[in-house]
Amino acid sequence: MTHPLLPLGLQVLACGTLLLFFGWVVYLVRFHRLSLRDSLLWMLSTVAVFVLALFPRLLQALARALAVEVPSNALFALAILYLTLNVLSLTIALSNSTSRTRRLTQECALLRGELEGLRARVDALSPDRKPVGPG
Amino acid sequence: MRALVIIPALNEERNLPQVLASLRRDAPGWDLCVIDDGSADRTAALAREQGATVLRLSQNLGIGGAVQTGYLWAREHGYDVAAQIDGDGQHDPLFLAAALAPITDGQADLVVGSRYLGGEGFRSTAVRRAGIRYLCWFLRLRCGARVTDPTSGFRLAGRRAIALFAASYPSDYPEPEAIALATRNALSVREVPVVMREREHGSSSIGAGDTLYYLVKVSLALLLLPAVRRADPRPA
Repeated sequence: MTHPLLPLGLQVLACGTLLLFFGWVVYLVRFHRLSLRDSLLWMLSTVAVFVLALFPRLLQALARALAVEVPSNALFALAILYLTLNVLSLTIALSNSTSRTRRLTQECALLRGELEGLRARVDALSPDRKPVGPG
Repeated sequence: MRALVIIPALNEERNLPQVLASLRRDAPGWDLCVIDDGSADRTAALAREQGATVLRLSQNLGIGGAVQTGYLWAREHGYDVAAQIDGDGQHDPLFLAAALAPITDGQADLVVGSRYLGGEGFRSTAVRRAGIRYLCWFLRLRCGARVTDPTSGFRLAGRRAIALFAASYPSDYPEPEAIALATRNALSVREVPVVMREREHGSSSIGAGDTLYYLVKVSLALLLLPAVRRADPRPA
């Protein structure tokens, strides 16, 4: 290896950053700010890039397999594709969540409507007593 | 027969009292259900004072989510027919009786009140009329629905349509899409002539500049109608 694909300093920096990132994801999961299910993609991708940073020759082989001349371009292309898929899956989750919120909001309104109706009937049954409802 | 009027309202404290009063006067047999789509004013309190059932949405869901809440209420309480009337005073309750006939005769599942069948009253601006013509054409092309006023918010739904809309109702600009949905699910859609008034206070939910966005959004929604045809909805 006369011309290393990745200078040692850069390699250390990359691995360090990835380790920090991985640690952050683990922290988010352990303190319930990210669900384990949603974290899996992040952990897998971090591990994958970590392996590539440790063994840059893998990336070279990958670029050759994809018929891309410069290995870093292969990496960029794959990274952009990966991020795009990730954003799409996020948007799907968001749409899903929006329709659930809509359903829940409707359910709350229906239940409150039922409650008000029942309250009025209870109050009508015992007019001498204090109303059940608030104020 | 049990009949319900669904009135979606957002900050309509100025128009709503008159709307409810005219409903009580001109449509005495109908129960009233106001859906308050997260108003900041006294919409809910005023509706309650007039003896309407008030369903308050804790968050603004937009017209589609609000109207669907009304259909859910209608399904839950076993109503035979549910009418949709805007809370801004555009629609005259006097037309409810005529619009009810096709449903009680069993000739229609969904009745839409059309401004353009009769030929009187408020008919919107020229730009919007052109847009409406285009939507009519598109609806006919896409799902064979023959209507003249697809954006009309004056509607009556029979039991089958109530079940369908309670289960799935479009959001954002739901009126033309709801017609397509009904046709897709083998419900029969009829139109009756109505006369609409220009709203007295406030502005329409769709501004002039938004007309193009509206048309693009609705066209896309009609193009991308749910691929899977739902099973024949049964009254719950």
